[in-house]
Amino acid sequence: MTAVIEVTDLARTYGKVAAVADVSFSIEENSICGLLGRNGAGKTTLMRLVTGQEFASAGEIRVFGEDPVENAGVLARTCFVRESQVYPDGFRGKHVLKAAAQLFPNWDADYAARLVAEFRVPLDRRMKKMSRGQRSSVGVIIGLASRADLTLLDEPYAGLDAVARELFYDHLLKDYSENPRTIVLSTHLIDEAARLLEHVLVVDNGSLLMDAAADDLRGTAVTLVGGHNAVERFASGRPVLGWESIGGISSVTLTGLSDADKADAAAAGLELAPVSLQQLIVSRTRSAQEARS
Amino acid sequence: MTALATAPIHRIATTARIHAANPWTILYTPWLILFGVFALNFAIWHAVLIGAGDRPLAPDAFTTNGGVTYIFVYMVVVAVQAMNQTFSFVVGLGATRRDYFGGTVLVFGALSVVFGVGISLLAWVERATDGWGVRGAFFAPGPLRTEPIWVLAVMYTLLLLLMFFVGSAVAATFVRWGANGIIIFFGALALLIVGVVYAITVNGGWEAVGRFFTTHSMLGLAAYTIPVTLVGGLAGFLLMSRATPKG
Repeated sequence: MTAVIEVTDLARTYGKVAAVADVSFSIEENSICGLLGRNGAGKTTLMRLVTGQEFASAGEIRVFGEDPVENAGVLARTCFVRESQVYPDGFRGKHVLKAAAQLFPNWDADYAARLVAEFRVPLDRRMKKMSRGQRSSVGVIIGLASRADLTLLDEPYAGLDAVARELFYDHLLKDYSENPRTIVLSTHLIDEAARLLEHVLVVDNGSLLMDAAADDLRGTAVTLVGGHNAVERFASGRPVLGWESIGGISSVTLTGLSDADKADAAAAGLELAPVSLQQLIVSRTRSAQEARS
Repeated sequence: MTALATAPIHRIATTARIHAANPWTILYTPWLILFGVFALNFAIWHAVLIGAGDRPLAPDAFTTNGGVTYIFVYMVVVAVQAMNQTFSFVVGLGATRRDYFGGTVLVFGALSVVFGVGISLLAWVERATDGWGVRGAFFAPGPLRTEPIWVLAVMYTLLLLLMFFVGSAVAATFVRWGANGIIIFFGALALLIVGVVYAITVNGGWEAVGRFFTTHSMLGLAAYTIPVTLVGGLAGFLLMSRATPKG
């Protein structure tokens, strides 16, 4: 396994605000990694740093083994698509795709044309006049058709309808299996994207909260439901992520349960329910916040 | 394919093409406005002729004109606008700031030649038609009437380059620090100009300044813009190399 992105002790501060603080991680070649976190957690800043658009205050970034800042060789293999991309006045959809075709050496014009038809993008319309979803579609098409070795998608489908989002997931998976590459995807729709993700990075308040394989995470947490006393007896002394009670019934979300533990819980008359990636990340982020305050 | 696509010339040309993707701002609009300003002047000359009737006009009545200077101011605006809009787009899509600046310089250079030579050719037509039939001078007014066409072409091109490159420094200031940067930039510029004027007056240097302008040829004066142009371009490049795209 080779790391495409290696980040060590990275920090970016704006005045007194630390947008990214002391972050270290690496992303393996040919994988789909989810970069998750709340608004303002530092996801976009992290992606801008990795693509050399922002300058690090401290720490080191290596993309394809090199510093990405002003590195034409690295940047030509990298595609960064973001929701808030700025377009020149008067630029129409077709101008944007023409520019992308020139900037990305692996651009597949036929594929781009097929995507334009499927996403129903009005290429003759000015970018400023397009709806949010249409602008997002243009970004998604650039992200897919650029076939860049490293593709970063920052909230790529803001404003897209459910049909278009499914279309995007399907295309991403299909094109990824035919043309393997490294994809970093930031999104708020965690459960929707969960099936795509092989690895998950969660940032909160500029720091890295989780860095794990998606499969490992899915198994780590379970919700137990049962009588209040039985739940309390079982949960005591274990790491609790969330707790809810209604009447005599309680439900608790626990991490780090082995198969034997789960069997014990079932024997104690507790009902076991899997925890979705989204629930897990929400409760982890919350408990991190509580720990801070 | 990859080797070709990442060759420096190709990358610089990419930025240049993106500037030219929408040729209205940088090419068509300035010509249209220039022709519009000329048409207005032409109409005024005719109105004066009709008003004068049989009374004779001085032969140089229509030779003092500043209409063509509009193009120089406009090009500063074009430089600022083009760079502010395309920088975030091009660098946001993954070009280096260096390649972006290289492509931008290429476009600015080409525009300077196109407008410099174009205006000079119009000056040639102006002379060939005895001042558009009314002894007017628009494209080469005042003291420029006696300069050879090639001198006009070099002078206009150098002046346009000056405007573009000073514009690139202003644009870089705006891209990096926004409106506040511009206010401070022009505040500092105003202070500098007043300071220089003050220093010249205190030292009784105005005579020397006048001599400088009367003893140098047009070409010589135009050549003095070159160092300023280079400094402007260097400042633009240095400021741009630490700028971050918006969005």
